[in-house]
Amino acid sequence: MSFVFTKKNTLKIQELKKSYPKKKALILPLLWMVQKQDNFISEAAMKKVADITEQSYIHIYGVVTFYTMFRLNKPEKKIIEVCRTLSCELNGSEDIKAYLDYNYSNEYEILEVECMGACSGAPMCTLNGKYMENVTKEELTRVLK
Amino acid sequence: MIKKIVSKNFDIKDSFKIDVALKNERYSSLASVFEKTPLEITEIITLSGLRGKGGGGASAGCKWSLLDEYSGTKYLVVNADESEPGTFKDRRILSHDPHLLIEGIIATCYAIKSHISYIYVRGEYEEFSDILQIAIDEAYDRDYLGKNAKYLVDIVVHRGAGAYICGEKSALIESLEGNRGYPRLKPNKISPEMFFGDATLVNNVETIASVPYILKNGAKAYRKYGTPDSPGTMLFSVSGNVNTPGIYEVPFGVSMLEYINKLGGGIKGGKKLKAVIPGGASTPVLPADIVKYSSLDYENLRDNGSALGTGGMIVLDEDVCMVKALKNLLRFYHHESCGQCTPCREGTSWSDKILDKFVDKTATQKDLDILRSISISMNGKTICVFAPAASSVIDGFLKHFESEFLECIQ
Ligand SMILES: Cc1cc2nc3c(=O)[nH]c(=O)nc-3n(C[C@H](O)[C@H](O)[C@H](O)COP(=O)(O)O)c2cc1C
Ligand code: SF4
Repeated sequence: MSFVFTKKNTLKIQELKKSYPKKKALILPLLWMVQKQDNFISEAAMKKVADITEQSYIHIYGVVTFYTMFRLNKPEKKIIEVCRTLSCELNGSEDIKAYLDYNYSNEYEILEVECMGACSGAPMCTLNGKYMENVTKEELTRVLK
Repeated sequence: MIKKIVSKNFDIKDSFKIDVALKNERYSSLASVFEKTPLEITEIITLSGLRGKGGGGASAGCKWSLLDEYSGTKYLVVNADESEPGTFKDRRILSHDPHLLIEGIIATCYAIKSHISYIYVRGEYEEFSDILQIAIDEAYDRDYLGKNAKYLVDIVVHRGAGAYICGEKSALIESLEGNRGYPRLKPNKISPEMFFGDATLVNNVETIASVPYILKNGAKAYRKYGTPDSPGTMLFSVSGNVNTPGIYEVPFGVSMLEYINKLGGGIKGGKKLKAVIPGGASTPVLPADIVKYSSLDYENLRDNGSALGTGGMIVLDEDVCMVKALKNLLRFYHHESCGQCTPCREGTSWSDKILDKFVDKTATQKDLDILRSISISMNGKTICVFAPAASSVIDGFLKHFESEFLECIQ
């Protein structure tokens, strides 16, 4: 299987090259582009990114595996992330996580994450990357239906 | 108590749109900036006493001056990685006053003779960096940025991908260069960061957003607020067990307890205050009796055995189990250690595991001794200050709340 960037992305890459002194700096932006396009990062895509940035495949693989937001596999379900760090825990994130696990784990992949920078809206979670703050079970039930 | 300098436009409707921003003073500092020399601009910032708001509190002016002796391309990198637990202020600037940040970037680039700035935004902040990107596009359209501007500045938003450690400035540069986010060994003399070998200034979002006010009103106007050593204001924030968590900008030096009670709305459910983690998770916890005489400035909090950090207070009420709270934080450090240094990689992992025993009440005296020795082994022996911070967190809990840990020992 090979990976090709869409036409639009190929044009974008040409633009991006002008924004950085070296091609290597394109690695993170390109990986994001890949993940937006395919919803995960395949071996073929990593090879493509390696070609464009003139780096080895293994370097790209090393980068992908360092960052928690990059995915090597296509997610089968939609993703809910529940923040578990202190301000959220003090405001009931454990209950929210348990509630989600019990009721929604068939349709959603429910993950725990560290501080998302939304502590004044604790407890918080994200639904497909979008922030939901001061979440309650009632609100989740309403939104997830 | 509130003094709005950086947060002035936060409550204005559509403040992120350029027309609204222009009506509310944004970009108004630039005319006078370009009448001065870069050196004069840096001098004003130095005189104002502006200190970095990313956690370290270094003098911004001194840091800018470090780039003077370097020729060649220079870079400004704005640190919007904001991942310190309890900290959520930079995000508000990105989403509610991005033009203030852009204005600050233009002035800072002019002062350090840079023509390009990268804003490194944590990956999770996608919806907020989208707002920022639209603001940047508007600024290009109106010729505040780009080749038709009075002074050429390009801004590139660079998206992180989930790694707390990339907030550490050298790790951030590594990440920007397309590497794993490993902090670098520090040079043996004070020097700027290096992006592909060129001198680079790394400043926090709020630091840069503080620049326009100072340049427009002068160093003295900024020094009117705060204390002699901690001048000006800061976007302090409060979360945890309080009634009205949020971001409230106040001058340095105000009483911590007053801030929590007046602005944070006091403790939820009418409970008593037990402790405060004053400036993001990495600052040692302070028990209520010390909080009583603590004030929100660098010197006071240092003297009281903690640090001002990012100004993000986490408030704990009387019912909070301190063992469980420490467990929560050590789990964070375990998860976020980059793993380069053995004391940190092993220390954060083992201390996290040992805390499980305390939570389960199956710990022994030996476990407490080991926890203490891990803390010692993590302090001062690693590439970056992540491990010493974790160590000081452990020490803070054990110093002030030892009895709760002893109660968990069989
Ligand atoms: C582990 C660690 C994490 C950090 N995270 C951040 C961060 O998320 N945002 C930030 O601005 N500074 C962070 N810093 C501080 C930066 O290294 C750097 O000092 C700061 O960005 C400089 O800007 P300032 O002088 O304007 O504060 C972190 C430091 C360490 C050691
Ligand atoms: S102290 Fe920890 S986070 Fe810092 S470089 Fe070493 S292993 Fe990485």
